Amino acid sequence: MKVLVTGGSSLLGRTVAQQLASRGDQVTCFQRSPSGTGTTDVLGDIRDPVAVLQAAAGHDAIVHLAALVAPRPSWEAAYGINVLGTRNVVTAAARCGRLLHVSSPSVAFDGHASVGAGVEPARYQGRDAYTRTKAIAEQYVLEHSVAATVVIRPHLVWGPGDTQLVGRIVERARQGRLVLPDHGRALVDTTYVDDAAAAIVAGLDRTGESTEALGRAWVVTGDDPRPLAELVSGILGAAGLDVAVRSVPAPVVGLAGRIVGRLWPGEEPPLTYFAARQLSVAHWFDQSDTQRVLRWQPEVSVERGIEELKEWFARS
Amino acid sequence: MSWGLDPAWSRRVSIDGSDGRPVDWHVLDTGPGPAGTIVCVHGNPSWGYVWRDLLATLAPQWRVIAIDQTGMGWSERGRPRRLADRVAELAAFCRQEVTGPLVLAAHDWGGPVAVGASGLLEVEALILANTAVAKPDDVAVPPLIAAARSLVDLSCRQTPAFVGGTARMTDKVHRDALRAPYRSADRREAVRDFVADIPVMESDPSYATLQECAAVLDHLQRPTLLLWGGRDPVFHDRFLADLRRRAPHADIERFPDAAHLVTLDAPVGAVVARWLDGLNGLNALGTSATPVAAAAGFESVLASLATRTEDTSAAYDGPDGVLSWADLDARSSVAARALHDAGFRPGSRVSLLVPPSCDLLVAAAAVWKVGGIPVVADASAGLRPLRRLVRASAPSWTIGTPAILALARTLRFAPGSRSACFSSFPGSVRLDRAGGSRTPFTPVAATATDVAAIVHTSGATGPAKAVRYTHGALAAQRDVVGPLFHMEPGDAFTTSFGPFMLLAPSLQMTCVRPDFDVSEPAALGFDELAAALGKARVTVAWLSPASARRIIDTARGRTAPIDLVMLAGAPIPADMVEDVRRITGGDVRAPYGMTECLPVTDGCEPDRIGRLGGNSTGRPVPGSTIVITQLGDPSSPLVPEDGWGEILVHAPWMFDGYDAAWSADADTWARHDGLRFHRTGDVGYIEDELLIHLGRLRHVIEAADGPLASVAVEGPVRSAVGCTVAAVGVGPAGHQVLCIVVQGEGSLRVADHEMATMVRGACPHRVAAVLQGTLPVDRRHQSKIDRTALGLEAAHFLAGR
Repeated sequence: MKVLVTGGSSLLGRTVAQQLASRGDQVTCFQRSPSGTGTTDVLGDIRDPVAVLQAAAGHDAIVHLAALVAPRPSWEAAYGINVLGTRNVVTAAARCGRLLHVSSPSVAFDGHASVGAGVEPARYQGRDAYTRTKAIAEQYVLEHSVAATVVIRPHLVWGPGDTQLVGRIVERARQGRLVLPDHGRALVDTTYVDDAAAAIVAGLDRTGESTEALGRAWVVTGDDPRPLAELVSGILGAAGLDVAVRSVPAPVVGLAGRIVGRLWPGEEPPLTYFAARQLSVAHWFDQSDTQRVLRWQPEVSVERGIEELKEWFARS
Repeated sequence: MSWGLDPAWSRRVSIDGSDGRPVDWHVLDTGPGPAGTIVCVHGNPSWGYVWRDLLATLAPQWRVIAIDQTGMGWSERGRPRRLADRVAELAAFCRQEVTGPLVLAAHDWGGPVAVGASGLLEVEALILANTAVAKPDDVAVPPLIAAARSLVDLSCRQTPAFVGGTARMTDKVHRDALRAPYRSADRREAVRDFVADIPVMESDPSYATLQECAAVLDHLQRPTLLLWGGRDPVFHDRFLADLRRRAPHADIERFPDAAHLVTLDAPVGAVVARWLDGLNGLNALGTSATPVAAAAGFESVLASLATRTEDTSAAYDGPDGVLSWADLDARSSVAARALHDAGFRPGSRVSLLVPPSCDLLVAAAAVWKVGGIPVVADASAGLRPLRRLVRASAPSWTIGTPAILALARTLRFAPGSRSACFSSFPGSVRLDRAGGSRTPFTPVAATATDVAAIVHTSGATGPAKAVRYTHGALAAQRDVVGPLFHMEPGDAFTTSFGPFMLLAPSLQMTCVRPDFDVSEPAALGFDELAAALGKARVTVAWLSPASARRIIDTARGRTAPIDLVMLAGAPIPADMVEDVRRITGGDVRAPYGMTECLPVTDGCEPDRIGRLGGNSTGRPVPGSTIVITQLGDPSSPLVPEDGWGEILVHAPWMFDGYDAAWSADADTWARHDGLRFHRTGDVGYIEDELLIHLGRLRHVIEAADGPLASVAVEGPVRSAVGCTVAAVGVGPAGHQVLCIVVQGEGSLRVADHEMATMVRGACPHRVAAVLQGTLPVDRRHQSKIDRTALGLEAAHFLAGR
């Protein structure tokens, strides 16, 4: 199968491209800078419809990962990449016939705990530019894609090389600025990057065969929820950091998020209300339906992932 | 008109009035149903609205018609009616409107009307809710009714006092509907007439009719369901007792928190639907008593006493004194004579509010001799639960110390009951004086199927239930316990369980009561135990885990020899077995049993751990049968190789049923091989003929990849971390994740990395969270971890905020 992967330079995009290539698929990666995956790179801007069409020509399927992920991007930037970029991909995928769109569980995060949620909640809740544009994009895909389409929402992807979750925690800890709401008591699902990539590959395969998988969004997790405190101490341990994590009552963190998020001048405020809530409440999911339909199962436990992370920190 | 009623139900119908003229009635009629018709009769002052839940729940399977009686609700006014008129009109209505099977349901003063009509009609079944067909002999006219009668026109017609007062007995949402038909004085005439018609004296016009109604109920051999609100100031539980006496076959569903308007306060529709289904054979198990195996050669527990009337050795030895067998017999005869002379009626229930003492043994024996049923409520439950239990049992008599009687009277533990006391207390019968008669009292003979006692479940993990035992079951228990545990007549036993002291006469053993506060199970320490052992040849001790723990903690290297120690009441950890063995030098066992059936197993090999986890409770006691079934499906038995499931037990000495709790009773029974089995609510499995206990069904963790038994999960973790742990499920049923809470101080917190690693290393299942904090334990045993509460606490904690 010839597959076009957009956003191949991200950790998850790279892993997906490598998994596809290693099983014998012909992979092309489309992004602004070289992916470093060893597969064919086509450089271009996802907002450019012609570039996307040209890159997709001759492929059987598209895996669409390209997105702007930032705590508080400008609306224009987020809309351009997340919404217009996705429209371009949907148009191109109509010719290929198969599309796997990567969304985010945050499009449905309403600030309250999700405890053992199934494929719900499906209602779009996003308030900030990132979640709103990702929600619009997902909705667009589900409503307009004429290709056989599966939508995956990988939940809190992490692993060696991760600059988002792992990178931020380690950076803050090194700066002595790591604070957890209520000692990090919330039970949180995460997804090890290899498992998330495998779920995406499985989802791509289902576009060809399973009608049950089509037309809806599937939250994907490692099915191994842990209290946030435990994840954080595991990551810090892997990084060889022995720092005390400070705790602040969750309502205070939420309030601080509101204030800082509103007043911070730049694009990367240290805290937003959205981030504060995500750290304060549980979000873990019932994966039985997802695993059955995608015919996929996570293989990396939190402990294994931490071990991998430890080795990676030791190497780098 | 709406009030949650379907407007389509409302219609008018003309029936033959008792005065020969047609009368216009309003009815709520759900329309045809295949099962039959339920005609519902309201009381005073109310109308068909009170049957709202029944109308909504039973249609369309049943046709439900709630009538408004003449002059009441939205029916025609201005035609005074007496009870006999109302009976005739109800019968006329049913003959005119109902074809097919007929069930009558009635509330309050609708009760006598419906019962009276049952004598004139062919009814399939009768449902009565907080009503009466007669004033129990020893009960005064309810004060509210008496007050209403003396100022009947003022309170019932001229002012809405009576209507409003009734409406205030239930939730606010019903008030408007209850008052609506009675907004003006002229619309309330029938309310007044109804109250004025209530016969209190023989000279009252409707007295004879009410007596006829009562006679109908006495002879009506029809399935009867009594729905009862426990907080009714008018028709309190003594009225329920009167109905139960008249219709002993009646099933009773008592709602402790519902008041007079029980059909509005409680979800009666669901209960009635299930009960009627049962009548139609869908659930034919019923609550009928099982034939008691010991019926042949039955020797009641009392009969054992009669053989030792000359024996001056101790039956009981406690801090309050020593009671010899001869004294027990003589004193109980005196007390029985006193009760008899005071008009005690055999079959009456007697609440024993006497702490474990000589007097308690005497009182219990006296009640049996006079043909009564002792109701034993465990005071350690606390005052409020105790009051609830006593009220629910509706005793005709209360025996207590003066202090407890004063308390019981002030707090209305048992409205309308008479009291008796071993000393002088105003208004109570003295049990220590035989009055004029000197002839020895001849005990009333009991049969094996007669109810012998009402005891209560601990309520440690849910509301306490009243458990009914027959004389046959008690005799069977005596016959099995003695030989099984080598409890030989002449030897002595001691216990930390208050109610167990009542077993002394039955076992023919001396009961040595240690000097400790029985309401505090952890108050029995080594010193108290050792002192008790010095009083007699104590060979057997029944101890709660809480007292065993305290004895271990206070032993300080000393020993107290006892042949056999039985640890019961909660799962017993292996180190406790070892410690108790070291201190007593005896055989230590942890038999399985519960208030409903004791014992089930012999408790041998208590430190053996089964292949699926959990400790052995020993082999089934000869005569008992254990069946393991699939979780949630008591009709699907498992074989030992299938693994664990629900534990069902049968034994000739098990209880007869839950009292006044028809639904709980129907839930608990399952049938296998023609025998009636009690669903214990526990889970476990059989291995090498040993029953291995895995905790409560309620505590099973419903994980995505199948159910996990809390005890099986906890065992290996407990050994690894060296302290108490509890496994709970967090999340929606069927998709729960496992959370392990390690005993610690204070409120819950996430355990540190070291502890989490140790727990995960020991636990064969995937653990989502390892927490630390105080584990909630039950009040009575102080050793059962309340995993339900802990599970909620953990879920709340892990959800964040």
